[in-house]
Amino acid sequence: MTGTPEGGSAPAPRAGLAERQAELVAALVAGGEPPAGFAPGPLAATRAALLRKRAGEVARHWPLLAAGLGARWPTTFAEWAARRPTAGSLRDGWDLARALHDRHALPPAAAEELAVREARLRYDGVRAPRPRRVPAVGRAGGAVAVQIAGRVRLLRPAPRVPTRAGDGVPDAAGSELWISD
Amino acid sequence: MRGRRRVRRMTGPSGVGIGWRPEIAGFVAELPGLRFVEVVAEGVPASGPLPPGLTQLRDRAVTVVPHGVRLSLGGAEPVDPARVAHLAAVAQRLDAPLVSEHIAFVRAGGLEAGHLLPLPRSREAVDAVCANVARAQAELPVPIALEPIAALLDWPDDELDEADFLTEILDRTGALLLLDVANVHANARNRGADPLALLDRLPLERVAYAHVAGGSERGGFYHDTHTDPVPAAVLELVGALCARRRPPALLLERDGHYPPAAELRAELDALASAAGFPAVT
Repeated sequence: MTGTPEGGSAPAPRAGLAERQAELVAALVAGGEPPAGFAPGPLAATRAALLRKRAGEVARHWPLLAAGLGARWPTTFAEWAARRPTAGSLRDGWDLARALHDRHALPPAAAEELAVREARLRYDGVRAPRPRRVPAVGRAGGAVAVQIAGRVRLLRPAPRVPTRAGDGVPDAAGSELWISD
Repeated sequence: MRGRRRVRRMTGPSGVGIGWRPEIAGFVAELPGLRFVEVVAEGVPASGPLPPGLTQLRDRAVTVVPHGVRLSLGGAEPVDPARVAHLAAVAQRLDAPLVSEHIAFVRAGGLEAGHLLPLPRSREAVDAVCANVARAQAELPVPIALEPIAALLDWPDDELDEADFLTEILDRTGALLLLDVANVHANARNRGADPLALLDRLPLERVAYAHVAGGSERGGFYHDTHTDPVPAAVLELVGALCARRRPPALLLERDGHYPPAAELRAELDALASAAGFPAVT
């Protein structure tokens, strides 16, 4: 039933609605090829608007991550998310926080937020995070949080290193050995 | 004029309302004349405790309308029965007189778009929406109102104009219309069309309530952000709508960058005065 667009300037045989919707979403959120016939300007504006909306929703779930990055939040998020379809705001923020942590680019308040989440929930990066049933420790960027019976406490804040001309705060050394799970 | 009766199902939306969000729950709770709020349906649990602010409003007999944002009624695939069941359960819990959703799709091919995307205005898309609305209606305990969205892009294969597209969907489904005045403004502005011409051709007698929201110009487009003040042009369009046929209710949507309470109250007052409704503040 459904034809495959041949490209070129003549009107392409139209694929079915399901296929065309899938093509459009992939182009908007997963770096897919722009579907035939769509004007590039509106497509780009839609892509940017979706990213802004998504950044706002992730910021609601991860307020310290967004606040810690401050003016850099919108671009940091957009660069990270441009070709990554959303996995939901909780996981989006979590994945981004871990990625920034790996690059030593996680601000201290955001590290504390991440440590608290890591202590509270088990997240394997693939499936939805689930509450931990046994006591656990969460660590990120020098911050240490502990969870016992569902209650989480930040035991050690992330060190605040004097910033160099507005750069990201480097991770503190020696944060690995404090407590073991 | 605060009613004391506790009806099992609340009365339909009336007057000026506001989108209930956890961030402004305290502000909303203190609006003395408020009779109507809307709540994002996906944010309300189907069981377990309700957010405390919502329980309070229900105790005051304020009408609460669940507003779905993730059903994807315009998706080519059949709507997810679990999502419909959730919307139905929330409507039941809140004694809602109706629910609302969008004429849009939010996912396809296994990917979430993250927000509402427009449909092609084609016969095939009309069929897809109508089939999904019928599936939802079969499970919902109350009527559904459908909201046309603001879109920055148009499909290359549009066969119908906006008024014909919407009217056909409403006629075939028997659904009510949730008319978003800011979306009418945004689409007209971005397509270079006349918003009044659209108002003249929509079935305004089917409007259950209307949305109003703020937005901003960016990169040559008007963006319906819900995080900016309501522009004068949108308020004027509210006046033009009410001059044609005043909807039973108008609802202010604000989804972030919440202004100080005084500013939000002033927006609600401006809405009330544009529509000739009593102030709720």
